[in-house]
Amino acid sequence: MPSILIVDDHAFIRRGIRSILQDSPDWNVSGEAENGRDAVRLAKELKPDVILMDVSMPGMTGLEATRLIRQNNPKAKVVLLTLHDSRELVRSAFQVGVNGYLLKTDAERELMRALAVVAEEGTYASPKIDAELVKKAMAERGERLP
Amino acid sequence: MKILVADDHDIVRRGLKQLLTAQPGWTVVAEAKNGRDAVALAEEHKPDMVVMDISMPELNGLEAARQIHKQLPKTQLVILTLHFSDQLVHDIVEAGARGYIMKSDADRDLVTAVEAVSRGRSFFTPGATEMVLTEFRKREDLSEAARPFRGRLTAREREIVQLLAEGKSSKEVAVGLGISVKTAETHRANIMRKLGIHSVSELVRYAVKNQIIEA
Repeated sequence: MPSILIVDDHAFIRRGIRSILQDSPDWNVSGEAENGRDAVRLAKELKPDVILMDVSMPGMTGLEATRLIRQNNPKAKVVLLTLHDSRELVRSAFQVGVNGYLLKTDAERELMRALAVVAEEGTYASPKIDAELVKKAMAERGERLP
Repeated sequence: MKILVADDHDIVRRGLKQLLTAQPGWTVVAEAKNGRDAVALAEEHKPDMVVMDISMPELNGLEAARQIHKQLPKTQLVILTLHFSDQLVHDIVEAGARGYIMKSDADRDLVTAVEAVSRGRSFFTPGATEMVLTEFRKREDLSEAARPFRGRLTAREREIVQLLAEGKSSKEVAVGLGISVKTAETHRANIMRKLGIHSVSELVRYAVKNQIIEA
């Protein structure tokens, strides 16, 4: 069963995600972190298959944490879970190398879809996000890779 | 206790429901995704408590709270928000809610809030106090920065500002404070330099603005 690390500074969100995933036989929540720094540490310790990552958190943002996790644990899938859908954030997220971009306004079934897609090595973006923008950002990332 | 939960985010609603139903004797009787549904479901279920987000589509939480409070005065309200502002506290209280917490607060704060409000008491986010103070300090800093301040005045200098602004001459200042005229004039020059002003009328304006004298 794939394991998940939940990263969000809001306790209600962590609780909500945990509660949704506990109802599903396909996923196992292996840990929770409330800031980017703990996320990096727990990603190393627990080696989760998927990390559900908030962006705006005190201390270290989810993007910075993703960058660091990518260095130690390149196989872990990162799905950003955020309130923000600005073009700049979408672009930076896919440039940093997230596997999924989910909005907090999305419904439960989108959360389940996002997890299923990234677990199968795919890339997920919320239906509310401009797909062209995602493609472009990923291409830009490709160009920068050695 | 019968509770209605209203939030447009599935994940948050889920978290709230899970937390509230984990408390002995508390049940979530209905869930709403927007303010309009919250009002309708409140009328239908007549809950003891409504836990409601503010920013929701169609009808926001504040307006919904107002309507619920009017129709069901016995139903208590706890409002949940992402951001904080002084104005919001005012609006929330005016809408008839006695509890106000932020989404960044800990789980137990919501439980404490619901508990307090259900007993007819009030509960405000622990973050509110801190933020009121921060806002207050920010405003202080701003007004300070707005002043043409080149250096802080000493207590004696502030005293002299008042006398000069009241129209006293250097000699009158000297007599009033029991210092020499020369010292009074030195103080006066230092004050002008520190405040970056060049005339008594500017000094008067400064004194009025900073409530050293009354206009």
